[in-house]
Amino acid sequence: MTGATPEVLAAGVTLGMPRREAEALATFATILERDPGEEARRFEQVVSAIEELVPRVEPVSPGLLYVPVDGAVRYYGGEAELADRIAKELDRIAGGRMGGDALVGVADGPFAARWAAASARVGEPLIVADTVAFLSGLDLATLREEMGGDEMVHTFKWLGVATLGDLANLPRDALASRFGNDGVLAHRLASGEDRPVDPREIPEDLTVVMEFEEPLETLDSVAFAGRVLAERLSRGLRQKGVAPHAIVITVRSAQGDERQRVWRSADPFSERSISERVWWQLRAWVEGPGIPGGIAMLAIAPFDLSGEGRQLGLFSDESNLAETERALARAQALLGPDQVLQGRPQGGRLPGERVSWSRWGEEPAKPDRDPSAPWPGATPSPSPALVLDRATPLEIEWDGGMPSRVRLGSRWEPVLTWSGPWRLTGQWWNGRPDADRYQIVTSVGAILCVVSNGRAYLTAVYD
Amino acid sequence: MGIEEITRTPLIERVEERLLELSPGRLVELVGEPGGGLTRLGMRMLAEHSRIAPVVVVDTRGWVSPAAAWEAGVDPERLVVVRCPDPQLWPKVTAALLEGVRAIYTEVPLRFREQDIRRLAALARARRAAVAMRSTGPGLPGGVAHLRLRAIGVTWEGAEQGHGRLGRRRLVIEASGKGVAGIPRIIEVEDEGTDALRLVSNVVVDQARRAVG
Repeated sequence: MTGATPEVLAAGVTLGMPRREAEALATFATILERDPGEEARRFEQVVSAIEELVPRVEPVSPGLLYVPVDGAVRYYGGEAELADRIAKELDRIAGGRMGGDALVGVADGPFAARWAAASARVGEPLIVADTVAFLSGLDLATLREEMGGDEMVHTFKWLGVATLGDLANLPRDALASRFGNDGVLAHRLASGEDRPVDPREIPEDLTVVMEFEEPLETLDSVAFAGRVLAERLSRGLRQKGVAPHAIVITVRSAQGDERQRVWRSADPFSERSISERVWWQLRAWVEGPGIPGGIAMLAIAPFDLSGEGRQLGLFSDESNLAETERALARAQALLGPDQVLQGRPQGGRLPGERVSWSRWGEEPAKPDRDPSAPWPGATPSPSPALVLDRATPLEIEWDGGMPSRVRLGSRWEPVLTWSGPWRLTGQWWNGRPDADRYQIVTSVGAILCVVSNGRAYLTAVYD
Repeated sequence: MGIEEITRTPLIERVEERLLELSPGRLVELVGEPGGGLTRLGMRMLAEHSRIAPVVVVDTRGWVSPAAAWEAGVDPERLVVVRCPDPQLWPKVTAALLEGVRAIYTEVPLRFREQDIRRLAALARARRAAVAMRSTGPGLPGGVAHLRLRAIGVTWEGAEQGHGRLGRRRLVIEASGKGVAGIPRIIEVEDEGTDALRLVSNVVVDQARRAVG
């Protein structure tokens, strides 16, 4: 469970609970698959609204937003006033619903602010006066995300370090010698020495820009341009040996309006995550408020660059994965986005129906049919390796209702054996008549064909 | 899971263990008419690689069905199908993929330039990519493939004059090239539609020919 409505939460469901348990508690609930793109699109209105109050906000992921408040506090007259304005703005967006669910925390640095928000109550922003004291009481598990997993947290706990305060009391040198950079980072976070939210200067030469004579209006064309540009940015970053902690995505509409968004990550962005953020943002803009007249210019700028890059695990194959993604992106650039695909299982009776296709690199399409449901009358396994995109007429000679010869190319092959017919009930309302399926074996192999209205069609080859 | 050898002699053991694997930097050619089972065999070769990294199928006709690859043990989340209907683009696309993909199964267009194939083989060696090339025409130029697997016969069990359904396939293959130390061998592969293949050795040519009628 990653999210639920207040009614579901009231039934006793808690976030993080296994799905089955949640279903048992809230039998009235509808379960939906998580859709990060859709979350980003919906979160966009929150980001836009808060950006009206405080410029240069930094979305981390859908649902989490850092707001640099130094200047804004002076402008609005205090942290409480600013938090109040933000809560009111959120109330305005969703008639009290969203504002009522939002958690607001104010502290020195993004890490402490995040956990201040997590500790806040709905409608009561938590403003931390003493960040170090606040952090010292937090459980060590709060470091899990920054440390990239549980391993170091478990080690600390095994050593008797239970809270961030315990960790901050350890000598930093000892942590550095035992755990390296990760140990120092953990100690700095536990001691309240976080990075500032404000981004550094954006290096001019790494920004990638694409201008379009014909403004892009469809989501498909925008997504493709975004992917190509993200790949170009990644190439430049790779050549410089740096990785950004934040990227700025800018679009200019055909009418000259400009929109800009900053995405930030505690870890340096990988090539895939850059591509993902660009796609989320463009989708949010195109499907949300829309871009008047289409997109005439798209730019991505990296900033807060890290020369260290992301530290790979001992058995991690992440560098190879990045190479694979680059290779697939190049293939996509050569062939077009519709030719590089991933299939996922879905239900169906014919072999061609059992695959749900989606473009590589995009969110997978939700299967139309449940693959785990029973499909009586489905063509049994093994599945044919070649499934024709459209059924091709096939010549079959029949002898007393049994297939005796089949024409493959220019020659007739005797049928050695066959199975079928299996009736496939048609859809008379769609003009699809009933059909019979046959598996036919010849000396060169096996094929699957369909006979309908006295005509035979080749549909698949067991190659 | 994997290849089970049920009859073998110590002399041929080492060779057989590698016959149905795709090794880094090596090119395996699969040649034979459609229907024999070589596409499924090629996808089975990708299965082991898909446990570690994404693998790619290059589909020149738009017919390759990933369902067969999943049954053969390829991880659905790590299988990417690249459709390349234009034979002019095929060498460029395959070369781009070889730059970064660990294991590739690719159909070879009916018309190709010999020099393109040789360049791709050299690139696969340089990038240590494992490649299976499926040709339905006359085959690849001599000496390019480390191992050449040519289908010479196929029989099916399970379907009997209208009853039952296709079940077990026996594919008879001639293996030749450096991968078998230059000594052609006949092998038989049993496939029951799962991710397990059974490699049967020492099938003599006469039996194979009788099997295909």
